Amino acid sequence: MASDPQSAANQRIVEDLVSRLRRRQLVGSRATALETLLVLRQVVSKARFSNIDQLVNIIRSVGRRLVDAQPKEHSVGNTVRKVLHHIREEYHTANEQPAVESSFSIAKFVLQGQPRKQATIPSSETRVPLKENDPDDPDSFARVLKPVLMEAIQDVFDELETVYDNISKNAKDHIHSDEIILTLGMSKTVDFFLKAAAHYRNYTVIVAETAPFYGGREMAKSLSSAGISTFLVPDSSIYALMSRVNKVILGAHAILANGGMFATSGSLLAATAARSYSTPVVVCAGQFKLTPLWNLYHEYGALDFGDPSAVLGFDEGDLVDKVDVVNPYYDYVRPELLDVFITNYGDHPPSSIYRLLKETYDDEDNEL
Amino acid sequence: MNMWPWTTSSQRTCFLFLLLSLMAPKSNAGKENLLADEAEVLQAVILADSFNKRFRPLTTRKPRCLLPICNAPLLDWTFESLALAGVQEIFVICRSHPEQIKAKIAESRWSKTGSGIKIVPILTAKETFSPGDAMRDIYTRGLVTGDFVLVMGDLVSNIRIDEVVKVHKERRKTNKDAIMTMVVKESGANHRTRSKADYAVFGLDSETFECLHYEPVMGYPPSTVASIPREILSAHPDIEIRNDFIDCAIDICSVEVPSLFQDNFDYLDIRRDFVHGVLTSDLLMKNIYCYVAKEGYAARVQDTKSYESISKDILSRWTFPLVPDNNHPAGHLYEHRRGNKYIDKDGTVILARTSTVGNKCLIGSSTKVSDNAQIISSVVGQNCFIGEGAIIDNSYIFDGTTVGPGCVIERSIIGFDVNIKENTRIDKGSLVGDDVIIGPNAHLEAFGRLSKKRGIDAVDDEDEEDEDDYADSEEEEVEAAQGTTTVNLGSESNAILWPQSAPDEDENDENVENAKNQRFMRLGDNASDLAFSDAGSESSDEESESSDDDSDFDKRLELPTSSSTSLDVPDGSSTDAIAESEFRNEVRLSLERAFTEGHSVDNAAVELKTLRMASNVPLSRVREAVVSAIVERIQIIDGGGVPQRQEIAHVVSRWGPLINKIGGVDPVETIAALQTHCASSKRLLLFGQILAALYQDDVVEESDIRKWHRSLASQSLGLSPGVRTDNMRKCWEIGSRMIQQFDEQDDSEDESQEDGGDAGNSKDGNEQDEDEDEDEDEDENSSSEDIENSSGED
Repeated sequence: MASDPQSAANQRIVEDLVSRLRRRQLVGSRATALETLLVLRQVVSKARFSNIDQLVNIIRSVGRRLVDAQPKEHSVGNTVRKVLHHIREEYHTANEQPAVESSFSIAKFVLQGQPRKQATIPSSETRVPLKENDPDDPDSFARVLKPVLMEAIQDVFDELETVYDNISKNAKDHIHSDEIILTLGMSKTVDFFLKAAAHYRNYTVIVAETAPFYGGREMAKSLSSAGISTFLVPDSSIYALMSRVNKVILGAHAILANGGMFATSGSLLAATAARSYSTPVVVCAGQFKLTPLWNLYHEYGALDFGDPSAVLGFDEGDLVDKVDVVNPYYDYVRPELLDVFITNYGDHPPSSIYRLLKETYDDEDNEL
Repeated sequence: MNMWPWTTSSQRTCFLFLLLSLMAPKSNAGKENLLADEAEVLQAVILADSFNKRFRPLTTRKPRCLLPICNAPLLDWTFESLALAGVQEIFVICRSHPEQIKAKIAESRWSKTGSGIKIVPILTAKETFSPGDAMRDIYTRGLVTGDFVLVMGDLVSNIRIDEVVKVHKERRKTNKDAIMTMVVKESGANHRTRSKADYAVFGLDSETFECLHYEPVMGYPPSTVASIPREILSAHPDIEIRNDFIDCAIDICSVEVPSLFQDNFDYLDIRRDFVHGVLTSDLLMKNIYCYVAKEGYAARVQDTKSYESISKDILSRWTFPLVPDNNHPAGHLYEHRRGNKYIDKDGTVILARTSTVGNKCLIGSSTKVSDNAQIISSVVGQNCFIGEGAIIDNSYIFDGTTVGPGCVIERSIIGFDVNIKENTRIDKGSLVGDDVIIGPNAHLEAFGRLSKKRGIDAVDDEDEEDEDDYADSEEEEVEAAQGTTTVNLGSESNAILWPQSAPDEDENDENVENAKNQRFMRLGDNASDLAFSDAGSESSDEESESSDDDSDFDKRLELPTSSSTSLDVPDGSSTDAIAESEFRNEVRLSLERAFTEGHSVDNAAVELKTLRMASNVPLSRVREAVVSAIVERIQIIDGGGVPQRQEIAHVVSRWGPLINKIGGVDPVETIAALQTHCASSKRLLLFGQILAALYQDDVVEESDIRKWHRSLASQSLGLSPGVRTDNMRKCWEIGSRMIQQFDEQDDSEDESQEDGGDAGNSKDGNEQDEDEDEDEDEDENSSSEDIENSSGED
């Protein structure tokens, strides 16, 4: 940050977000993605640059700062990568060099002709020739490019805004009448998805309460208030009920490059149980959760542990000294246990996630 | 009113519009600055001095708040705790080593732009010896402008203090007297983080969480009784008496609080003096509330024992999100591995393949752990070296320390840049000061404290000379004590061993810092020989030998350790009785002096007032004492008649006025006292005459006599029958006769009274409307002498 000739205000909003991320005052992948985008928009609008590399460096350094602040909120890094990708794309089109768009797109392939949202850039614009590193007017480059960049960021923004609707628009193709669906935890995406399907289908949802955070209770309340027949069950009965379940629908915290995912703790239990009954496991997740990372550290956990107080009260005096509590937020679910990801970019099997990643982000940004 | 007199009103509107449009983007930009936008700036005051020496020798050359806990200075943890709460302005009150604190603040990330927090170090005088002095300093400097957060510089917390502030402000809207809210955390009585040496029993109103009673408790001398004043029980139907709180030492204070400290110059400790004083004072009429934090963590590193337990709490993530891998206050990045191991992320840590790092460990950057070394539940700082086969067990090693091969360190705190040479053994509870060299092959016994000998490299110390005279003098003392102790600290050692327990002689057990109580604060010391935490293990020989001098604590019950709190209301009458008899004696002596030396009434009254203040007895007692002294002054003249009457008139006219000059006028009580005294004295027969004399001298009025006569006590109703009661009755009858006479007098004004003489003229004096104080203060234990049961002479 120090190397950037930016205004103090710019630095302050970055610091503000950094501290909120560090203090976990801002949690949740979509919320963090939105906040990150707001900061990036501020930064880009204030930034002074005279060529594309400077701009990319500015964004990267801000991104690095944010990611370092909270490496466990993967959507921060994803958003930064996505913005970088779009900026490069805009730069290439503005420069009249058609972006190196491969003719084969996995998204198009799976969706069979459904046009990719960001794929075509309106070509009707009258272009002003871009001049990089103009010694007479160093700001000219920025002046020309900025409106386009802001538009690109706005696109990412719109995409985030509409992510739930886009995911749930195919809900009725996945859920059929009289099915029994199992889900767990509180996931906004799954919530929207199930409610969208309820317009067309009449089905039953079993929600595991997902101790110790009990997001499942919230979820069950929300679903039943939408008129869906809902059962709230303890986590321990997931396996016992699995024989009757037609489909497991889970939310994700992050989709990893190998097609596995981080999801709220308990997901691994549900996915494993589903595997032994060959019940399909469907994951609903926005595209901003695609993360070019692998789970290197733990076989089962996501290296993100909360405080023990949800499990063991601090007032338990004597026990606190003698008991070590491990309270992970997220499980790591291996790709073999998952059947399909439903994203706002269409439905994909775990095995083709790597391809989707390659199209969404630029390779050079994988390491910010 | 017209700000722009040269413009017409329409022009002005345009102008305003222009102004508004100019301002609009500004307010928009203000959005970035989320913190500054809030209406009121939340201020916090950190008392960055411990005002005690529990961490010596680690704190001889640096303030306690800069000691690292989990590799970040305590002050940073405190800042982070406050930042979490959205505090925007922090005053750091520093006393010892202020330059270091200032420098630390200046280089920390808080002073960078964008931190959103303004930190102002305040240097207070060296004479500030207590938190109370610091508060007075805050008052005289006028630092705070509104409600503020008061914390100590050794706080580790993730409690949402802003919520507490909100509650406090809400309460202030309805009750201006709610001056303070203390944050407490439920923990259970036996929590590791709860100090055994210095805690408190709280009496709370269950509904409002008003703190009604605060009773500090120490580990030694052990007290097993909490006394709850009766008034509290009668005024509040629903009281919780809690002995399971950790006092987080987070106080939300109103502006009045520093000024109260200013007014009460003897307040030293915020809890023991201020809270206790405010709660027990009849004059202040202020309320203190408690906030029982359900969520979050807060604790103070107030001694070496809590240093250990808080380190463990941090490592086992109770302080989440304030944990090493997430929001480390010093900005280090740690990788969290399974089993709560934290290894610095920058890749400079070298762990030998055969080394073992156990659960709950933290290892700072650039530290090297050699082959076969074991680290168990310990914190190792940055740039440390752990030699081959060394064992570090439950210890806390600060930056730059070298631990030689084969060393064993157990439950100790090792300072900065210490060099522990090979095969040294450090037993539990030891504190090793900065720059010490020990070994090789040394053995430091349990609870040993080492610091570097001064003068070995005096060159280094030059720059600190001025600031450290205090520390130096202390070290000198320690060095002076060296001659006698010879311990094997190794051939290359530069260390001196501190004497085992601090100077003891003039120590007062009432003080929290007494030597035995300090054992409860000591790392690794379970003080089992002093402890009473296990049911049944009452007292040890150490206690019994000292129990003579603290008679307050001889009533020793079992202090409950869990929620089954049963605290007795002790019966304080025995001590009261002693004090009272002493007081009586004093009054008697002083009056005797006055009588014999012929003092003026005013002088005697002043003397009595002073006595009353000194022994803190109610006014009625003084009155009784004075009345009885005067009555005893009257000599009984055989045969009675006129000489007796003259004697009475003489004494009463000389000393009678004294009765009303002792600090309150209550003639009814005077008569009652007279009655009570006469009933148990030889001068029973004189009652009527004395009363008449008092009446004559305007000490009592007719109405008073009537009032007295009506009162139940005077008729001695409800008292057990006995000689004394009979005598009381007789006095009352005399009174009745007197009243009859008054009545007759009313009918025929000129009729003179046989007893009172021509007293009728003064009866129409302005009747003072005294509160009817039917104080039945008969001294039951006064043995009633057998006196002649003749009726009062008429």
